[in-house]
Amino acid sequence: MGWKEAAEPVLTRMPSVARPEGHVPFKRKIGWTAGILVLYFFLTNVVLFGLQTGGTGGDFYGQFRSILAGSQGSILQLGIGPIVTASIVLQLLGGADLLGLDTDDPRDQVLYQGLQKLLVVVMICLTGLPMVFGGNFLPPSQALGQSLGIGTGGVRALLFAQIAVGGILILFMDEIVSKWGVGSGVGLFIIAGVSQQLVAGLFSWESLGGQSGFFPTWIGILTGAVDIGSPLTPGGLSDLFLGQGQILALITTVLIFSIVVYAESVRVEIPLSHANVKGARGRFPVKLIYASVLPMILVRALQANLQFLGQILNNWWAAMPGWVGQYSQGQITGGLFWYLAPIQSRQDWMWFLGFTSQDPAAIAFRVAIDLTFMIIGGAVFAIFWVETTGMGPEATARQIQSSGMQIPGFRRNPQVIEKVMERYIPQVTVIGGALVGLLAVLANMLGTIGGVSGTGLLLTVSITYKLYEEIAEEQLMEMHPMMREMFNN
Amino acid sequence: MSSGQNSGGLMSSAGLVRYFDAEDRNAIRIDPKTIVAFGLLFGVGVIVLNAVAI
Repeated sequence: MGWKEAAEPVLTRMPSVARPEGHVPFKRKIGWTAGILVLYFFLTNVVLFGLQTGGTGGDFYGQFRSILAGSQGSILQLGIGPIVTASIVLQLLGGADLLGLDTDDPRDQVLYQGLQKLLVVVMICLTGLPMVFGGNFLPPSQALGQSLGIGTGGVRALLFAQIAVGGILILFMDEIVSKWGVGSGVGLFIIAGVSQQLVAGLFSWESLGGQSGFFPTWIGILTGAVDIGSPLTPGGLSDLFLGQGQILALITTVLIFSIVVYAESVRVEIPLSHANVKGARGRFPVKLIYASVLPMILVRALQANLQFLGQILNNWWAAMPGWVGQYSQGQITGGLFWYLAPIQSRQDWMWFLGFTSQDPAAIAFRVAIDLTFMIIGGAVFAIFWVETTGMGPEATARQIQSSGMQIPGFRRNPQVIEKVMERYIPQVTVIGGALVGLLAVLANMLGTIGGVSGTGLLLTVSITYKLYEEIAEEQLMEMHPMMREMFNN
Repeated sequence: MSSGQNSGGLMSSAGLVRYFDAEDRNAIRIDPKTIVAFGLLFGVGVIVLNAVAI
């Protein structure tokens, strides 16, 4: 008896959102998506009950917040962190073919779905418990503990219960968007967070309480209200490009936007023709970013998890040797974990402008580690992603065969189509994955508007692009109900 | 596109969580409205608790 039979009673009974019966009209789909988005923003603004007011520690996710969604100190403290971590585990297990699940078999599909949910719940506990009980990331209110007579331990348990409910809510909200709305919930929450930061970084003004955004600063510079040095001096130039002027950040942001949109259209097209209907032709596109940018989030989350490990070790292991990690005020400043930390901003590496006091050689080494991690990690996870989501040569060959198409000039046989696909898909996947990794690191090094990380920006642009394609497809189906049958819906 | 064979149709890559059509008969099914209502009530509940405690 394998693990499948043993786990079956639990995995098949995991609660799930009911599927819509029949076709959901496009307007209703948009309605569900918008509704979930509003609920998400509402929940990110609900402060945890029992949290010490004013004395919150640093954000547990730190710079990773922009890709993990949610917000510090709210019910959605965990964001999509548990979902991403659970997905990493599944990708690794699935990619190495350790699960033995065939995602074409309905029985195994049910098990896969159940396992997915179970893993997310496990990850909610694994990230939530150290967050609440280890360290000072969510300080409990002592006054509340006394007045309820449960002590700080009881308040901590209350906090954990709330963020766990929040984590499970995110999981179900994602399922609602996937089944009843447009796109996926995870993608929606990432776009929501990053866009919020981008808009704030562009338009926010000082009296709102945060940092002044790009446009208000420039209005200030032009009217003379913001004092910068003369643009003819090195100091003034540095202010314009790197400091308040943020010109470099603007250039990086626009550059990333255009590169991603351009890369989406770069593709190898494999011609197809119908076996029985003459003149019916089609193309199978192998896009440069074939695996999409989503595998990138897995690589970043892996780095994030390494950093959490460092923070937790730092909190619990008083005599931690210096070579493992040195922290000052919750920030990593040296040791092994410093080398493993990704470069998040210009402040992390521009030693020649005095942004950091670290040794240039050590900084170069850290940049090299980050680059290697992202490029190799990007390629590896892209390969796993393609395999596990049924975009690999074998799966696509089968799809093309069953749709009645063939590659002109080749025998009509899945093995033959697979051979042709094998010439393109693996290579394109690796190149695309590595390119996206490189872009993410470069964007982080040069900085972006609103301090959104390079990965966050990449994800947002490509998810929005996908969403646009999906909406266009939906509208096409609304206009021609016949199309629905062709899309196999 | 000429044949109605959509170029993106074959490449639908799911989100991080994948959902299949297959469902077990034993599975507990929840109406999406229930989840949204629960989310709203939970949020409002925590806000009320916060207001009462201060």
